[in-house]
Amino acid sequence: MSMIGSLQYHFNVNLMGRALLRINRLRNELQSRSPSPREHLGPPLKIAPRMKELVARHWLQGRYANLHDKVAWVTSGAPVELLKALDYYVLYPENHAAICGTARMALEISAEAEKAGYSSDICSYARTDFGTVLSGKTPVGRLPKPDLLLACTNICQTVLAWYRVLAEHFRVPLIIIDTPFVYHEQAPEHALEFVKKQLEDAVPVAEQVAGRSLDMNTFMETSRLSQLASELWMQVMDRNKHTPAPISVIDQFIHMAPVVEMRGDAHTVDFYAALLEEIDARIAQGISAVRNERKRLLWDNLPIWYRLRYLGETLGAHGIALVASTYTNAWGELAQFIDPSRPLESMARVYTYPILNRGTGHKLSTMVDMIQKYQLDGVILHSDRSCKPYSIGQMDQRDRLLREHDMPALLLEADHNDPRAFSQEQVSRHLAAFIEMLEA
Amino acid sequence: MAAVLPIHYPRSLLRAFNVLPIEVWGPPQIDAGLGAAHLQAYVCSIVRNALAFLLSGGLEVTDLIVVPHACDSLQGLGSILIDFIQPRQDVLPLYLPRGNGERHIGYLIDELRAMYERLSKTTQRAPGDDELMASIQREETADEFLAELHQQRGKLTTYDFYRLIRAREYLPAEGFIELAQDILKQQGASRTAGIPIVFSGIVPEPMSLLQSITEAGGEVVADDLACCGRRLYPPGTSKDPFRRMAERLLGVPPDPTLGSPISARLEHLLGMVKKGEAKGVVFYSVKFCEPELFDLPMLRDGLQEAGVPSLTIEVDLSDPLSHQARTRIEAFLEMIA
Repeated sequence: MSMIGSLQYHFNVNLMGRALLRINRLRNELQSRSPSPREHLGPPLKIAPRMKELVARHWLQGRYANLHDKVAWVTSGAPVELLKALDYYVLYPENHAAICGTARMALEISAEAEKAGYSSDICSYARTDFGTVLSGKTPVGRLPKPDLLLACTNICQTVLAWYRVLAEHFRVPLIIIDTPFVYHEQAPEHALEFVKKQLEDAVPVAEQVAGRSLDMNTFMETSRLSQLASELWMQVMDRNKHTPAPISVIDQFIHMAPVVEMRGDAHTVDFYAALLEEIDARIAQGISAVRNERKRLLWDNLPIWYRLRYLGETLGAHGIALVASTYTNAWGELAQFIDPSRPLESMARVYTYPILNRGTGHKLSTMVDMIQKYQLDGVILHSDRSCKPYSIGQMDQRDRLLREHDMPALLLEADHNDPRAFSQEQVSRHLAAFIEMLEA
Repeated sequence: MAAVLPIHYPRSLLRAFNVLPIEVWGPPQIDAGLGAAHLQAYVCSIVRNALAFLLSGGLEVTDLIVVPHACDSLQGLGSILIDFIQPRQDVLPLYLPRGNGERHIGYLIDELRAMYERLSKTTQRAPGDDELMASIQREETADEFLAELHQQRGKLTTYDFYRLIRAREYLPAEGFIELAQDILKQQGASRTAGIPIVFSGIVPEPMSLLQSITEAGGEVVADDLACCGRRLYPPGTSKDPFRRMAERLLGVPPDPTLGSPISARLEHLLGMVKKGEAKGVVFYSVKFCEPELFDLPMLRDGLQEAGVPSLTIEVDLSDPLSHQARTRIEAFLEMIA
């Protein structure tokens, strides 16, 4: 990195950027003190402006990262601790795509990829990412070019196809951590050994691109911070065992960003400690996510990013709270497997066992456990056109929930980032019928 | 008998247990309605049809279902079979690693050993290394004949050629060897010398498509089809049967489901175009097949840069070949003639 580049980075990110983001946060905090206009929903989280600042700073760093850091683009289930310990700036194209979705820009950006020949039948996150790569369009200013790509197949095989395209486009090394799918209750030992060996093989590649050696103490510390953040996130979600629930799943979708994209950073741990404190204060003060909570639901699969508010308000108007989600749960449930004193060995287990890398029966068991844990009254399964590994199995899962657990369950057809797959009329009709069933 | 889903699996291991693999690529044009109770409409027709075929009793003659892991949809099918549908037959998933380095071979050896154990339990048999090697050698011989047929494909029309080589999907190796020997003994070329093209995709279904190509004046001179050219397994060298099976399975031409780089696949396609003096490439994709769809834009761009025209046709195996698809093939052949 050149001296001038480094100076430019510090001026834009650490001086100007931080100051502007802080001013923006203060303004948001002042605004949030005024009474909530939300008729059916509880007051917004006070920490929301801080979360926005944290995430905005991350993307601001990204905008200038090529001047200052080595950049790695990674999948959301990637073993990021290793890259963090080597001081990479880590970018998650999936998170970026979700930001495009919430900013209602995903369709316009995906169109750039479709124009280049990418089918509308491939994952809408990937299309959004390709659209940004090809056109430069993004709501976050600019994405830094990667020096390294890391794809871990523990969330889907789509990422393998996706990152192969990125590798050809950017002509940079691609590390694939291939995590054999766990069909039965336990992964075979040879599968865990295979993952561990691949992680060991990834170290020299990542070191070479980073131009530095991995320091084991830093690696262990990053793993410890990662574990702490994940544990705190799990505790935040666990607080929803309380009735009424203090934080909705819609807010969880928004506030999970740091544990996904800034796992391993000290400020992420501080953020979740503060969030937990606020959640406890809400419980003590009787503040709930939905003002008149009467029914509590589980959400399965990715969010519908471009309709979060609609879902929250529609359900909230009937006193229905989205209390738990298999998706947000995924970033907390594996904290117990992290062993900071043996980071590589424990990473093999942690990154083999995400819910998306496990069988459809395991997902049903997870849902049933969550229904009991959070005392839920029903389940919405988002049948996500863009996420086959999460969605295949949902028809049988819904059937079992209804038949064997007497649990109302709705299959809601949509797509996490492509609004063309969301039929407002159909969703409204299905939600209305489901609400009626819950209230019967 | 074992029903085997796409794409790669150890034939020789199954045969060593006296299990005959019968591959299930779809099958095409069946009532996929039964599968619709378990799979969403955005799952590809290979997977939906396979499930519908199973549920309609089409696989009753089999004792085992092998589900190799090739993509998210086959992963999901394997999983719901094990967890929810629970057919009468044992369901054996097989995870193929995404890569062909020593680590991947090592993993696959272990995976094949685990499969051996499962097969042993199911069949109550335990073939020794000699039996395994005999089975491997038999399959290697069949594969050598298969490769030879690909070389001498001009002896047959495109349709007859694919009917013949796809017999490898259900015939025992010895039966296929006999059939191949008969064809290879035949003298002279009976083919109509048509406009040479390379065919890429998953499976050439409905097979009437191939007749349409011939009728429109085309001739497939090489393919990159998942069920055909991408399964030209090289002969093995190792004396250890499991290593030999693993090395063969991962030694195939570039395959996106095994993580091969797109550039390697492009190079392979260009090699086939050059060798067969093909005038164009037809990509014949199954709707919703992500591994194929992701590669297409870069492959087509690469071909275009090399001056090779290409055409993409997308099909649902439940549907007959559309008039539109025929017309597009005709127009493409006219254009490149």
